[in-house]
Amino acid sequence: MPTVPPSTRPAWWPHFNSTLRSTAVTARLGLVLGIAIGACFLTGLLSYFQYQAWEWLPPPASPVWGYRVTQGVHVATGMAAIPLVLVKLWSVYPNNFRWPPFRSVKRVVERITLALLVSATLVQLFTGFFNVLNWYPFRWDFVSVHYRLAYVVVGSLLLHVAVKLPDIVYGLQTKVAEGDVLTEVPWNENPESHSIAGPLPPPVTPGLSRRGVLTAAGAGIGVVVVTSVGQTLTPLEPIGLLAVREPSKGPQGVPVNRTAEEANVIAAARAPDWTLTIIGPKPYALSLAEIEEMAVHGARFPISCVEGWSANADWLGLRLLEIVERAGGTADSQIRVRSLEAAGFFNKSVIFGPQLSHALLATHLNGERLSVDHGYPLRLIAPNRAGAFNTKWLATIEFIS
Amino acid sequence: MKIWRILLAVVGIGIATYGISQLLTQVPRQTLVLVALWLIGALIIHDGLLSPAVVGVGAALRRYVPDRGRRYLQFGLIMAAMVTVIAVPMIYRARTQPPAKALLLQDFGINLTVLLAAIGGGTLIAYAIRVARDRSVPGRPPPNQAHE
Repeated sequence: MPTVPPSTRPAWWPHFNSTLRSTAVTARLGLVLGIAIGACFLTGLLSYFQYQAWEWLPPPASPVWGYRVTQGVHVATGMAAIPLVLVKLWSVYPNNFRWPPFRSVKRVVERITLALLVSATLVQLFTGFFNVLNWYPFRWDFVSVHYRLAYVVVGSLLLHVAVKLPDIVYGLQTKVAEGDVLTEVPWNENPESHSIAGPLPPPVTPGLSRRGVLTAAGAGIGVVVVTSVGQTLTPLEPIGLLAVREPSKGPQGVPVNRTAEEANVIAAARAPDWTLTIIGPKPYALSLAEIEEMAVHGARFPISCVEGWSANADWLGLRLLEIVERAGGTADSQIRVRSLEAAGFFNKSVIFGPQLSHALLATHLNGERLSVDHGYPLRLIAPNRAGAFNTKWLATIEFIS
Repeated sequence: MKIWRILLAVVGIGIATYGISQLLTQVPRQTLVLVALWLIGALIIHDGLLSPAVVGVGAALRRYVPDRGRRYLQFGLIMAAMVTVIAVPMIYRARTQPPAKALLLQDFGINLTVLLAAIGGGTLIAYAIRVARDRSVPGRPPPNQAHE
């Protein structure tokens, strides 16, 4: 590699002389960030599977808290990754200012893939956070972009790890205080770098030490996680200063993601002549009074939202499987439930496999008749099922097969 | 290590290519334009505005704050910045949603103030303890050279 002495740079070119930044610091931050992004990606795929389950592999019904945990982890690690990625990028900022800027084709290609990695990661994390806030300053369908951009993030991240693997190995093996200083001059062009000059007294960090930076970052992220995760981890709700949701403050102790007013179903849901229509080999209908008489089965299932919040709840209702069997179906049937809501993605859902066998058509929540925001007169609730597919304000149950 | 690097690179390029081709074929053109603008915007805001501001703050601290105090100030500022970046969108979005959602019901301005006060207070206490210790150790060099 050609060596370009720093003196050939123009005088105005940015110069970084902080000794805080180091390959050793970056490698440690990167390792944690990589784990966080990996956890986000895998839990995200599990969530996407709830949205697009394969027919031959129905989503499991157990553990009942499965989606609660995986989606809670997805949102918590995603939120924690926002401050983490900012510190990680701070630690490598001088790399943007290597001289000369376009030194080789290889280097330019690397910079382009890095730009893709950084921008995709920032957009992915921030739009994910905004979605949790029900804030859509981006004017696109969240799920279809979030899902596909995840592959761009993870793919370009793996490529980045491949390119940087020797630096990562060096950074993780060297002591934090001793590792090469990271400036706009790469270590292999700096004769005084720890890697070239051999054992040297560690560089002086007159203010905060490198370990101090890592500790402060860990403490800051710790505060964010502890004060935000109460929306999933019920015991931490009281200290949820940054908790987006406070599950206990929802009606009947459970939040709502779509109100009856937003769904425009209030009048239809409260109509006394409401009936549940079952369309199958042996079709029939159940009146409100019949439904309420049959609602004797209790279950304790959490409701777990794709936006990360969740709350455990006691439900009372009818077994969906019994309703299906009465219409001539079996536990192997594929069922679609439809809401009174006229349109939209969430006015219906498909249920089959183990979730069908365990699902309730609920009339009561935490000992009270369902409120209209919770799906009065009747809603679906099944274990380990994404909240959005526990369809509310049920009107019909139909057989797909 | 070489075989690992090749393997990682091949898998990485494969996954990223899949993502990009999915975006290009499955997402409406109008959305793609917006996503591209956001990607470029994220780079400009981060590398062009946020990072230079952080570098500027760091340089100002180095110039104007003595080493011993700066250590604690930097620690507190890093924590404060992390909490703030999460809290600010929440402050902006607070109380925009129907109460039944139990979504963003808190006054996050107050919550952020509480968190920043706790971080500031903790940092000050740690600094005070440090100053007191330095004084109680006889023959200790003056603080600004203590760790150089």
